[in-house]
Amino acid sequence: MQRLFGAAVLAAMTAFAVGSVQAGEVLDRVKSTGVLRVATDPAYPPQSSQKPDGTFEGFDIDVATELAKRLGAKVEFVTPAWEIITAGRWGGRWDVSVGSMTPTKERAEVLDFPAIYYYTPASFVVHKDAKYTKVEDLNGKVIGTCGACTYEFYLKHNLTIDAEGVPPFEYKVTPGEIRTYETDTNVFDDLRLGDGVRLDAGISALPTIKGAIDAGYPLKVLGDPVFYEPLAVAIDKGDPEFAAEIKRIVDEMHADGTLKKFSLKWYGVDLTTAQ
Amino acid sequence: MSTVPAGASAPAGSSVPLRESRNARRALAFLLLTALFAWLVPGDDEIARSLLALLGFGEGWAGSWLARLLMAAPIAAFLVVNGALLRLFPRRVQIGIVWAELLFVFLAFFYSFDLSFGFIFDRLPILVFTGAFTTVYISLISIFCASILALIGALARLSRSAVAYGLSTFYISFFRGTPLLLQVYLIYLGLPQLGVVLDPVPSGVIALSLCYGAYMAEIFRAGIQSIPKGQTEAGRALGLTEGQIMRKIILPQALRLIVPPTGNQFIAMLKDSSLVSILGVWELMFLARTQGRAEFKYFEMLITAALIYWFLSFLFEMIQARIEHRFGKSDRR
Repeated sequence: MQRLFGAAVLAAMTAFAVGSVQAGEVLDRVKSTGVLRVATDPAYPPQSSQKPDGTFEGFDIDVATELAKRLGAKVEFVTPAWEIITAGRWGGRWDVSVGSMTPTKERAEVLDFPAIYYYTPASFVVHKDAKYTKVEDLNGKVIGTCGACTYEFYLKHNLTIDAEGVPPFEYKVTPGEIRTYETDTNVFDDLRLGDGVRLDAGISALPTIKGAIDAGYPLKVLGDPVFYEPLAVAIDKGDPEFAAEIKRIVDEMHADGTLKKFSLKWYGVDLTTAQ
Repeated sequence: MSTVPAGASAPAGSSVPLRESRNARRALAFLLLTALFAWLVPGDDEIARSLLALLGFGEGWAGSWLARLLMAAPIAAFLVVNGALLRLFPRRVQIGIVWAELLFVFLAFFYSFDLSFGFIFDRLPILVFTGAFTTVYISLISIFCASILALIGALARLSRSAVAYGLSTFYISFFRGTPLLLQVYLIYLGLPQLGVVLDPVPSGVIALSLCYGAYMAEIFRAGIQSIPKGQTEAGRALGLTEGQIMRKIILPQALRLIVPPTGNQFIAMLKDSSLVSILGVWELMFLARTQGRAEFKYFEMLITAALIYWFLSFLFEMIQARIEHRFGKSDRR
């Protein structure tokens, strides 16, 4: 009897096991429900942030809304933590991530990246009183960034971006110590305490740094961007039909200038092509 | 300054030794506090400089031990005098004054951050009506489920059945032995591997219930075990079944001991529920973080959230005190 029960449990587990989604499943669901559920991490103005009434705004939000419109669906946002989005195996909880995600090799093992929609420059940031004049001055310094993100990989000289059309880059800085935070915006809060108080420098997306400076943080950008990362729309693995549809729509948005319009609106510059 | 040498001006009388020792203690407190603050303050800021100039010392004294002492002594004296004055009031008033003073220092500390109150005011509605509301309802559902789990867990642990005992101790051991944050991740990310895809709120409620159920099972067990064995024996003698004894004799008495610590667990859960913010549940902590990041006004939102959490805990502490009062009735003479 007990053995029978064990076998039944095993059988049930195998029957329900979700490895990856079925081909066309997500696209069918979006078409039939008329809702595109988009995962966003509203911690990154001007890409995605939350307004006082609980709605969202930003570049990624505009792109996601337009994507849904062209899929013939209504957009709906969900807000899981970044690690949960990048962990993959979404199990149909949401359909797509328009979250300025860099298609790294590790992430490509659990997610598919059907389309790159813009490129963001990564820059070093220091306190405004700091004496550094070029990026190379930061060798051996204490540098802060987000944990398990592309900036940390760059600092560790371990960055592989798995996408076409990525501009080549070189590792210009070897930090003395890398301090990682939950997100790179935490770095600004430590850096604002003063030059070298907790951190000597940080590395983050140039638009995010500029957002912090506009918000009154005593920071400045050091030197030119050190690399450009392509940012892609991500979907759960194993739905080529959905991937193809997203690629078609994003290509269309590149071609008809929609993405450029959004980029100018939120960043003030055109970031939709690699420099 | 209250550096009166001990006993120098003490009048004669029966209370002399007491008063003498009190003054000696105050003098000692003053010296120690002065030393502490002299060590803490820099002694070369604006106030120290103007104080030095007032007493005719030059710029060269800035940052010296003298400047530090000049800064430290008034603060120490203020604290000692404050303590001495407090004694003039009845106990209840003393407690009130201490609370008011600490609250004042606390708020002055926050005020010194130069916060944007307009920003806080704009975002207060969503923090309260969505954030705090979600926090409270998730905690209420979770504490209810946790109580049921705890009762089952405690009964199983006290049962003669080896299987029930094994299941219960394994459950308690695992959920007390791993961090709640990890359990939240495991339930949210792990269950879909078995085909069960749960939404964030149910996942969070399950994690909180399982974790707190494990802790509370031990509280329930202690409560049940505290009822003397004679009660069970008396029940048997009356011909009651084991189930009836538990329901009608043991549990009603055990509840008196179980309810107060359960209220305590609820207050703890109110704050631990912030861990489900990683699932994207719009509870207080999640909204404090995302709203703050929208305009890089992190501190405004964190302090507001802290005050809301504190207020909620305070509220439930008072409710707990009332419940305790009610359940403690039989103990009062």
